[in-house]
Amino acid sequence: MHNSALAINLEDVTLTLSSLAGPVSILAGVSLRVASGETVALLGPSGSGKSSLLMVAAGLETVTAGRIRIAGTDITSMGEDGLARFRRNHVGIVFQSFHLIQTMTALENVAVPLELAGVQDAFARAAAELEAVGLSARLDHYPGQLSGGEQQRVALARAIAPRPAVLFADEPTGNLDGQTGADIADLLFALHERTNATLFLVTHEESLAKRCGRIVRLNDGRIVADERSA
Amino acid sequence: MRRINLALRLARREVRGRLSGFRIFFACLVLGVAAISGVESLSTAFLTGLAEQGRTLLDGDVVVQLVHRTTTKTEGDFLARHGRVSRTVSLRAMAYALKSGAEAERQLVELKAVDGAYPFFGAVGLDPVQTLALALSCDGQVCGAVAEQTLLDRLHLAPGGLLKIGTQVFRVRAALKSEPDRISGGFSLGPHVIIGDDGLKRTGLVTLGSLINYNYHVVLAPGETIATFKNEATAAFPDGGWEIRDRNDAAPGIRRFVEQVTSFLTLVGLTALAVGGVGAGQAITAFLDRKKEEIATFKSLGADGGLIFLIYFFQVMGIALTAVVLGVVIGALLPFAVQALYSDKIPAPAHFALYPRPLLLGAVFGLLSAVAFSVPPLSRARLIAPASLFRDIVAPADARGALPYLVLAALAAVLVVAIALVLAPSPIFAIEFLGGTAAGLAVLRLIAEGVRAILRRLPRPRSPAPRLALANLTRPGSAAAGVITALGLGLTLLATVSLLDRTISRQVENRLPGTAPSFFFVDIQPDETARFDKTVKSFASAKDYRRTPMIRGRIVAIKGVPAKDAVIAPGARWAVNGDRGITYAATPPEGSVITQGRWWPANYTGAPLVSFDQALAEGMSLKLGDHLTLNVLGREIDATIASFRKVDFSTGNQNFIIVMSPGLIDHAPHSFLATVRVAPGEEERLFRAVTDAFPNISTIRVKDAIAEVNALLQEVAAGVRAASLLTILSGLLVLAGAIAAGSRSRLYDATILKVLGATRLRIAIIYIIEYGVLGLLTGVLALAIGTLATDIICREVLEMPLDFDFGVAALTVLGGGFVTLLFGLVGAWTALSARAAAQLRSP
Repeated sequence: MHNSALAINLEDVTLTLSSLAGPVSILAGVSLRVASGETVALLGPSGSGKSSLLMVAAGLETVTAGRIRIAGTDITSMGEDGLARFRRNHVGIVFQSFHLIQTMTALENVAVPLELAGVQDAFARAAAELEAVGLSARLDHYPGQLSGGEQQRVALARAIAPRPAVLFADEPTGNLDGQTGADIADLLFALHERTNATLFLVTHEESLAKRCGRIVRLNDGRIVADERSA
Repeated sequence: MRRINLALRLARREVRGRLSGFRIFFACLVLGVAAISGVESLSTAFLTGLAEQGRTLLDGDVVVQLVHRTTTKTEGDFLARHGRVSRTVSLRAMAYALKSGAEAERQLVELKAVDGAYPFFGAVGLDPVQTLALALSCDGQVCGAVAEQTLLDRLHLAPGGLLKIGTQVFRVRAALKSEPDRISGGFSLGPHVIIGDDGLKRTGLVTLGSLINYNYHVVLAPGETIATFKNEATAAFPDGGWEIRDRNDAAPGIRRFVEQVTSFLTLVGLTALAVGGVGAGQAITAFLDRKKEEIATFKSLGADGGLIFLIYFFQVMGIALTAVVLGVVIGALLPFAVQALYSDKIPAPAHFALYPRPLLLGAVFGLLSAVAFSVPPLSRARLIAPASLFRDIVAPADARGALPYLVLAALAAVLVVAIALVLAPSPIFAIEFLGGTAAGLAVLRLIAEGVRAILRRLPRPRSPAPRLALANLTRPGSAAAGVITALGLGLTLLATVSLLDRTISRQVENRLPGTAPSFFFVDIQPDETARFDKTVKSFASAKDYRRTPMIRGRIVAIKGVPAKDAVIAPGARWAVNGDRGITYAATPPEGSVITQGRWWPANYTGAPLVSFDQALAEGMSLKLGDHLTLNVLGREIDATIASFRKVDFSTGNQNFIIVMSPGLIDHAPHSFLATVRVAPGEEERLFRAVTDAFPNISTIRVKDAIAEVNALLQEVAAGVRAASLLTILSGLLVLAGAIAAGSRSRLYDATILKVLGATRLRIAIIYIIEYGVLGLLTGVLALAIGTLATDIICREVLEMPLDFDFGVAALTVLGGGFVTLLFGLVGAWTALSARAAAQLRSP
């Protein structure tokens, strides 16, 4: 695989965090290459380092050692504000707990990343994104006035609105009931189809992972398996 | 009882949780309680000191004061029968430095002549140390004197130097360091000088009609009481014009000052408690917000609303009680701290000790305020259903507390006000102050809510930074209204005090120079008038020269009713409290406006008529034809009111509230008062010409007197401003509390914005807009309300136009904006510096 065609390129990434009990090794020499447009599921038991790996790859966490290139850009030594600008243009993130801004309406929440990126018609595009996730009737609702499923739809619309190269999703169905979770999963893959963004999905659900083209298994901060789905 | 025990038990368990949200509530209560108990303790220390030292301060058990005259033989015998008597004589005079070859420097002094018995109590402090008798003794042509160091400095004299007062030369034998009865003497226009009786006689200043006070200090004989002395004196000399003071109220001026300052500071302390109360409301709302799950759990386990209220009420009261105890301890220590730091600068005697009453007062005010402000928000918790507690994350339920709880809170507030009113020396001022504070709080709260409602309806800005800033200000549960109210009240008080100070200062500075005289000349003797007139009129720039006869006298009866028993409005009481200047005139004095009645004919010499001040007449319910009885030089004169005049004291010119018709009073020995205006360049020459030619005349430079008054005003204004800072401090605590309460949601928002690609600068801009708008808005509101309050005070009380000051305006608005911004950015620092990953890892 040619380097320039890689959406995610992690080389020997190590992450050690300090704690009261001393340093804790979270990631221990992880190397991973994900091609543009690929769908990758990161599976592993609780505490295996899945979310940390996502944060490192999304530029939310600075690594202790190793090298990270996302969408062709080396972000390893970028400062906090540099990383923020990088995320604005290249990365979308969906969280398990939705993480919407409570004081903003659904429309405003989706418009924020577009506005930060300097998009002129941010609100029109945000409205279109919300319509695409089936929330055209909820534009002026605050997060507190939406159900969990609806909040996650807003979060998805927000993540995909700037057309990121990579869409990271951290347990996106973890806080939802079975049917709502399934609907969100369908929406996630539909958005991937529509935008062709690389999808990097952290989950502990085998069934959801199997909908991805590739499954990477993590245990104790190391990749223990990397397989193509059937 | 079982229920209360259960609530206490559960509350105790709950307290194991974090109570950190109450730090501001705690701090505000400590501040308010410490201020009230401290100020009241300090005041008690001074008042106790004054009471204990009454005999020394008065230098006797009673003092009989006579103006213009000494006692008659019968009066003297009466005094001698009741105890030991000492006489002091006080007057104002010019003192001249006598130095060979140099032009004599001169200064107006407060002169006191004492006899050999003075002082009965305490000692006069002299440097170099010697007995007073020796220091004042006459040696041939020269008598001894002691003078305050300020006079020696101004006249460039040292002990041993010569002074001339009247026609007598004195040798300054020592610097006067202290007088035991100094503070009972009242306001001084110049440095103090003490001479002996012999010396006074030789000055030539003692003539009939001169403005001289004779004070007879009496140490009552064993078995005599103050009450019997006073009763017998009144019975024996009903028309004597005796002003009797006693050791129980030796320095009434100082006592009134201490009482009034205490009342003002206590009211400011209460305002600080009220401002803190706004913060308490916020803290409790935020606390209950955090406790929703616990409350819901309690409810699901069967706790009813009343029990829920009690559980949290006990917790809050526990915190309040701890804060009150700490506040009381600080308050109790305050007098001792003042003693340790300023004992050498305190002019009045003070007895520093632990006084329970002021501490109890502070504690009661603190606890009642805590109840008044905490019960309404606490009562809302009991009404919220468990389901809504779980779901209501963004918009807190707007349920109002149940009526009994609101009644309890109102009762506590009413009690606070009632106690404050009962204790205030001037209940009307207390009502106005507390009413103004309550109105200010209500108006600020209403406007704050109104502004929030307007902001909410404004079109949302398209740019995310102002939009998020606006959203933070208007979101449900936002602390903006609380901050505007609390900080706004402190700033309003500061703006009001500053605007009042500027208005009064400018009134004194700007209005007087145009119309006011340059000099007042007091005690011009009748045989000097022609020579004096000529001297003054010889100055080319002399203008508005007026010379008026003046005699001191007292109103002893109004419409036949003794003045002490007459019904007189508080604002007019001063006119009968002591001697007043009285003049007589054939024609209306220049500038007089007769509002009712007619002036007597120019050649009138019949039964005494009087023209009286219109405003005082209203306070004494007088009408034309009513009788005023005046005591002049021990003789009573019954005068009929012929007219009322409007007297404008603010012009600085000669004004008399009582003008008599000629015919009787002009036969009494009297002196003259004169005023003149000269060009500034001629002032010094005129001063020297008059003081050279007329050493017995007291020459008062108006400029100097105004400077003295202005200096006093500035000191009072600085003190009042410092006191109002207490409320600002409370307001800032509330602001800090509000910012701290919102820190979780701010951190959350900042984290999400960072995830979405916002730089720290961009996030900081949001906070700059949010807190800048909040602060400027608070400043503008405070300025508007402060200006309105000042305007009302100026129009209704001071009767002068408001002098708006742009410096004060800018300071209020920009100061409000700056501190809010500063606090906001310091509070937001955590959110800006926190790493997104760490926050996402532990939501």
